[in-house]
Amino acid sequence: MPDQGLRIADLRCRVAGNEILKGIDLTVEPGLVHALMGPNGSGKSTLAFSLTGHPHYEVTGTVELDGEDLLSLTPDKRARAGLFLSFQYPASIPGVRVANFLHAARQAEKSGDLPPAKFRALLLEKMDQLGIDPSFMGRYLNDGFSGGEKKRLEMLQLAVLAPKYAIMDETDSGLDIDALKDVGNCIAALRESSEGSAMGLLIITHYPRILQYVIPDVVHVMIDGRIVETGGPDLAHRIEREGYDKLREQAAAAALGTGAAV
Amino acid sequence: MTSFANRLQRRRWGRVLLSSTAAAVTTQPPELYERLAAFDDALIATGRRRMALDRFFALTSGREKPGRFWRIDYESIVPDARAIDIAELAPSIENSDPAVAVLDLSTAAREHPELLGRAFDTTGISVTKFGALANAFAGRGVFIHIPPDHACDEPIVLRYNVQAGAAIFPWNVVLAERGARVTIVEHLAADAKAFICGATEIVAEEHADVSYATLQQAGEGTRVIVQRAARPGRDARVAWASAELGGELAAGEIRVAIDHPGVDARVTALFFPRASQHVDLVSTVEHAAGESTSETLVKSAARDRGQARFLGNIRIAPHAQGSDARLRDDALLLSPTAHVDSVPALEIGANDVKAYHGATVGAIDAEQIFYMASRGIERAAAERMIALGFFEPAVERFPSSSLRDEIRAALAQKLS
Repeated sequence: MPDQGLRIADLRCRVAGNEILKGIDLTVEPGLVHALMGPNGSGKSTLAFSLTGHPHYEVTGTVELDGEDLLSLTPDKRARAGLFLSFQYPASIPGVRVANFLHAARQAEKSGDLPPAKFRALLLEKMDQLGIDPSFMGRYLNDGFSGGEKKRLEMLQLAVLAPKYAIMDETDSGLDIDALKDVGNCIAALRESSEGSAMGLLIITHYPRILQYVIPDVVHVMIDGRIVETGGPDLAHRIEREGYDKLREQAAAAALGTGAAV
Repeated sequence: MTSFANRLQRRRWGRVLLSSTAAAVTTQPPELYERLAAFDDALIATGRRRMALDRFFALTSGREKPGRFWRIDYESIVPDARAIDIAELAPSIENSDPAVAVLDLSTAAREHPELLGRAFDTTGISVTKFGALANAFAGRGVFIHIPPDHACDEPIVLRYNVQAGAAIFPWNVVLAERGARVTIVEHLAADAKAFICGATEIVAEEHADVSYATLQQAGEGTRVIVQRAARPGRDARVAWASAELGGELAAGEIRVAIDHPGVDARVTALFFPRASQHVDLVSTVEHAAGESTSETLVKSAARDRGQARFLGNIRIAPHAQGSDARLRDDALLLSPTAHVDSVPALEIGANDVKAYHGATVGAIDAEQIFYMASRGIERAAAERMIALGFFEPAVERFPSSSLRDEIRAALAQKLS
């Protein structure tokens, strides 16, 4: 179908009066992995929050999820439409147990599709895959979790909710190599499953590290609120060798050029 | 033979303060005094009941007067003499342990005066304004006795169901002898417009372990004022847990007097005024002996025009070295018109102690709502889950999983 995909067009975002995103065009197709790279402060996380509907962000432009207008929806409806965000800093919610939360989320997004026993079996399987101890289920959501534990729990939610499109915001930051492998395996398993085979992924990352475990189909580089370069997996390798400086200079020159033309 | 009442009469009232500043602020209705004669003279002699009622009228509550936001005037609270009904019987009791005696107070005074006298009215409750009122009309209520070194496996359950419009004065007494262990769960329910003024006393002797939990779900327009006090012995453990969820007014004090080393005291309270409910709670832990620990945890929420006040006292005496006292209270405001005042008050006289207190008052964090929304959970459902979760650390400290589930269900209902 022509309108399939997470289609972002001319997305602009202001936070407290400052324009952070200056016109983003990007389409994540079902089943493909896009990586969005860029230095700190380039607007990557702002893009993630703009798409998921964080109340602090003023957003213009259009975003369609398989043809559905996302920007007119509240954050919970965007999630139910099939959009998922793996948070860089997930909120802790004391008193809400992981198991209850996961169950509520699954119920909200895929109401009544799994009887409790099967849901439990699914949870246990995914937890095993992610190296998460079953005792996690009784703990309070992200409360007193280490950075690595939080990221594993985000991945567990991704696996359990099996969204149509998932944004992973700096999932690799703060992870050791074992945790990174577990995350990679979890995503690979999800993409091989019938539930997750058509999932489109947008991996936001600072370093190319995670891309060794989840090979991207397309790589974008964002600098100063714009996508300045798009290419294949080799673009990630180039950044690993050269850093962002060269691209940043090019972007600055291009911005000047545009300025001069006006 | 000395009757139980006479024995009590000889006890000295060293701590009674009838100062001139505590002026009577209400008229003393004679019909209230007339009702005293109907109460068990063998438990408390009528003359002493009259003195207690005098104290009630003479003392002030010491609580804040009505003002800018607070709407309850304690000093004007007087039970309606016509509502005082002694014919209504004691609570229903669930106790499967034959070694444990659970008796109404009059029976206990007749059959076990010695045992009852070791605990009844020994915690200083009847020198407070509403403790004196409860004392004047004491009769309903139970005496629970656990013999030495006996562990009571199943909780003892007391259920009070107060009729609409009735005034009752339940006075419960727990005597856990040396090394005994017991859990008591009290359900306090009432129809509309009842008046409940009660007391609960715990005497936990050396190495005893007593846990006492109350779930109060009184009906509309009911006023509930309960004084709770515990006297733990050396190396004893005492845990109070109180969920005040019903009534128009839920007020009271929870007190632990630590006079011996090695004591471990826990105080847990949760409350949730909504509509026009009021809650006014004081907790007091007095470390008069060192090498003792206490942990007070209070969780409250308020919505609509609900109002609550919490005063958390921790006192560590100068010689109580090695005390470890913690006080934590958090309040969640769910409506702009709701109000919670929270005052931790620490008086620390010793230098080699650990004392911690933390208090928060606030609304639900927008980032928590957003996080849940990003998982498809609607705002209202997210707020409910977060608010229930907010109470959970306190709920967890209640004994018995069925009680915890009842509390969770009652909270969920108040959140819907």
